[in-house]
Amino acid sequence: MTLKTQKVHSAAEMFAKEHLEGKMDRREFMTRVSALGVATATAYSLIGANPAEAAGHSVKPSMGGTLRIQQEVRALKDPRAFDWSQMANITRGICEYLIEYQRDGSFKGILLESWEANEDATQYTLNVRQGVKFNNGDDLTAEHVAANFVAWADKNVEGNSMASRVAALVDEETGMAREGAIEVVDDYTVRLNLTAPDITIVPGIADYPSAVQHKDMIGQDIAEHGIGTGAYKIESYDVGVKAVLVKNEDHDYWGETYLDRVEFIDLGTDPAAWVAGAEADEFDMVYESVGDFVSIFDSIGWNKSEVVTAATVVIRPNQKAEVDGMMPYADKRVRQAIMLAVDNNVPLELGIAGQGIVAENHHVAPVHPEYAELPPLQRDVEKARALMEEAGMMDFEHEIISIDDDYRRNTTDAVAAQLRDAGFKVKRTVIPGATFWNDWTKYPFSSTNWNHRELGVQILALAYKSGEAWNEAGFENAEFDALLAEAVAIADADARREVMAKLQAIMQDEGVTIQPYWRSLFRHYKDGIVNAEMHPKFEINVHNLGFA
Amino acid sequence: MGLFILKRLGLMLLTMLCLTFIVFWLTNLDAKLETLAKTQGSARMTDTEVQQWIANNGYDGSMIGRYGQWLGIVPGWTKEVRGEERGRCLEQGMTFADAPTYCGILQGDFGYSTVLRDDVSTIIKTRLTLTGKLMFWVMIVMVPMALIVGVLAGMREGSRTDRSLSVFSIVTTATPEYVSGVLFIFAVSAFGIKWLKGSAASAMDGLTFANFTLPVLTMALYGMGYIARMTRASMTEVMTAQYIRTARLKGVSFGNIVMKHALRNALIAPFTVIMLQFPWLLTGVVIVETLFNYKGFGWTLVQGASNNDIELLLSCSIVAVLVVLVTQLISDIGYVFLNPRIRVS
Repeated sequence: MTLKTQKVHSAAEMFAKEHLEGKMDRREFMTRVSALGVATATAYSLIGANPAEAAGHSVKPSMGGTLRIQQEVRALKDPRAFDWSQMANITRGICEYLIEYQRDGSFKGILLESWEANEDATQYTLNVRQGVKFNNGDDLTAEHVAANFVAWADKNVEGNSMASRVAALVDEETGMAREGAIEVVDDYTVRLNLTAPDITIVPGIADYPSAVQHKDMIGQDIAEHGIGTGAYKIESYDVGVKAVLVKNEDHDYWGETYLDRVEFIDLGTDPAAWVAGAEADEFDMVYESVGDFVSIFDSIGWNKSEVVTAATVVIRPNQKAEVDGMMPYADKRVRQAIMLAVDNNVPLELGIAGQGIVAENHHVAPVHPEYAELPPLQRDVEKARALMEEAGMMDFEHEIISIDDDYRRNTTDAVAAQLRDAGFKVKRTVIPGATFWNDWTKYPFSSTNWNHRELGVQILALAYKSGEAWNEAGFENAEFDALLAEAVAIADADARREVMAKLQAIMQDEGVTIQPYWRSLFRHYKDGIVNAEMHPKFEINVHNLGFA
Repeated sequence: MGLFILKRLGLMLLTMLCLTFIVFWLTNLDAKLETLAKTQGSARMTDTEVQQWIANNGYDGSMIGRYGQWLGIVPGWTKEVRGEERGRCLEQGMTFADAPTYCGILQGDFGYSTVLRDDVSTIIKTRLTLTGKLMFWVMIVMVPMALIVGVLAGMREGSRTDRSLSVFSIVTTATPEYVSGVLFIFAVSAFGIKWLKGSAASAMDGLTFANFTLPVLTMALYGMGYIARMTRASMTEVMTAQYIRTARLKGVSFGNIVMKHALRNALIAPFTVIMLQFPWLLTGVVIVETLFNYKGFGWTLVQGASNNDIELLLSCSIVAVLVVLVTQLISDIGYVFLNPRIRVS
């Protein structure tokens, strides 16, 4: 990976110096600079580290040991139909993936040595790692990989969520892989020919339903056949109770792995039971610690791992919405006034108790590989009032709608309070969860939560492109659409960043949405466990885990 | 006596048939099948995919027919899905030719659990054994304690011992498991008690005093108060009987009166109550097992119900009927031995 130098925060450079002088460890350094909004890849470049290595194997564990992980043990099925990342966390020890999404937002080849996209991202060449064997003795070849792509593109399989991830390979008529879309070039090379530029195929095949199967085992349950390239085998699997993976001694694993035995213990969904279990020494690591339980796990002396994700809440006016016969948010000045009246730190603190980092109203997160750093936003009540006066909307009453829950309601309340402080009239409406989603894209001014996605362009294409079904802001901008079309065809994140900077600037300038923060996820584990850090998509790779 | 037991067995079979049919009907409602399809297939399936899944997995056709298949009096369904032979009686890799025609409970096949991915008979056996252990220890703790408290309280009605023990038993009975269990877990963590554990997940691999005390105590305390109250009531009644007074007038010592004359008569009523505790324990374990993460029969029931696991729920209801009616039978027969005035006919 090549890293371009870009202008970074001066404090980040200072921290880098301190880290290199040994005054600050890497975790601390990363936490501080990412809080400054420095892209992770850039941060690594400051201290001369290779991100992929730094993220995956920052500490090399010692050999052996048994690790007990508290996590739901759900019934397994055809991996293509997996609907919970917990399922894949267990099977990842048996069936590995082509590409792995790293907690710093980068992608790392596992069963792929490398991959390249052509100029306009319509053709991908995948180089399969050589010397990888399935545990039945067969070699992993391009043929197996191609067979998996064919299976992923099969829309006729019930519950196959991979079909939408590799949509550019699917023939719309038959619902199967298009003739010539998946090409086996030689024993270790596969070429994908797409119908349209698509850079989301890489995150797509790094996602948890894309476990690579032996070509004869496709469509079957991993728990039943047990064939894969991974170093582990399933010793027992009791749904809802416990699953045990042990090192497969008869299998010559291509990589390195440490633990002898991994136990997944299901203690249900009540976090209070997890705490009781932790105190009773039933396990060594939790899958996720949530809400108030983050501090409770802190208090029993476990190590906390935090990862800032691209999961967020947007509080957006809908530019096309009509209120009392007029379209209040079609006026850019009104939208800008709203944005200027809000300090994003306040919803971060009051909405999610500071469990996250502040965001910049453009819905591209520092964890996204193509994130471009823009000048920080400033709350400016004077200017906000001036703009609102100019638009003649000082007397307009804004009705802000939110769902009736905990953090989304509180976040919206924090925004409403700040607008009131600025002298705008605001009415808050809270709608129960059962009915909120019926009209969520149509509300004139409301809040919505958005999940983490791997690339910044994915979310922009889904939520802000003209005419999209989920374009809840009613945002239509020809320049934005054109730039976005350009960005989605650039496979290299560094090259894409230049276009991204323009897209992000448009988002801010147009006052499309208030997007106050990025939410963090947490995980706790006992002292001495390494490489168990929280992952933005909850992934656990048992091959890397171990004891220091 | 023989005829009485036979009649009871007949009644048991009839109850099972009715109950399982009701459970079958409730779990096979259209909306429930959709839930099943979504948990088994994928949560994001579309309506057409759901219908396809239901058809491909033999949940279409008449409900009575499917109930017959489960009983084993109607041939199991067979279907060819995209070249693959599927059927009720087909195990992994079997073809139509080598699968049996009937496979229901009459053939000893209790079916397959869709959520726990195992044969229902294996699951019931493992989980019931775990619950059996729990119930055994609950009984060991609960029954002697309850009888001692009840007899001590009922010996001298209105005395200080009676009042304080009655208050104790009322408090324990009035505190449901979900309250006392949570309080226990809280106490263990708040006071940093290390020799007791607020979670019993490890008890499934090996029982220890530390991991099993709290679940046993939670259940035992709740039942204990009730039995103690019953014993006390029965004891006070006996203590006012004419023959006790006669014994006292004859100069028999108080200890002897209680042990030799009162106790046997006073235990008739609690005996029935204790037998009634068995079916109650079977439902009470639902809360305690969930609370302490001890995965026995109660937990299985919850899993089956929340995932609409049809065949698992059916077998659970059979077990429930079995436990209720068998303990009632024992209670009725035992009553005859304790009270010679009663006769079964």
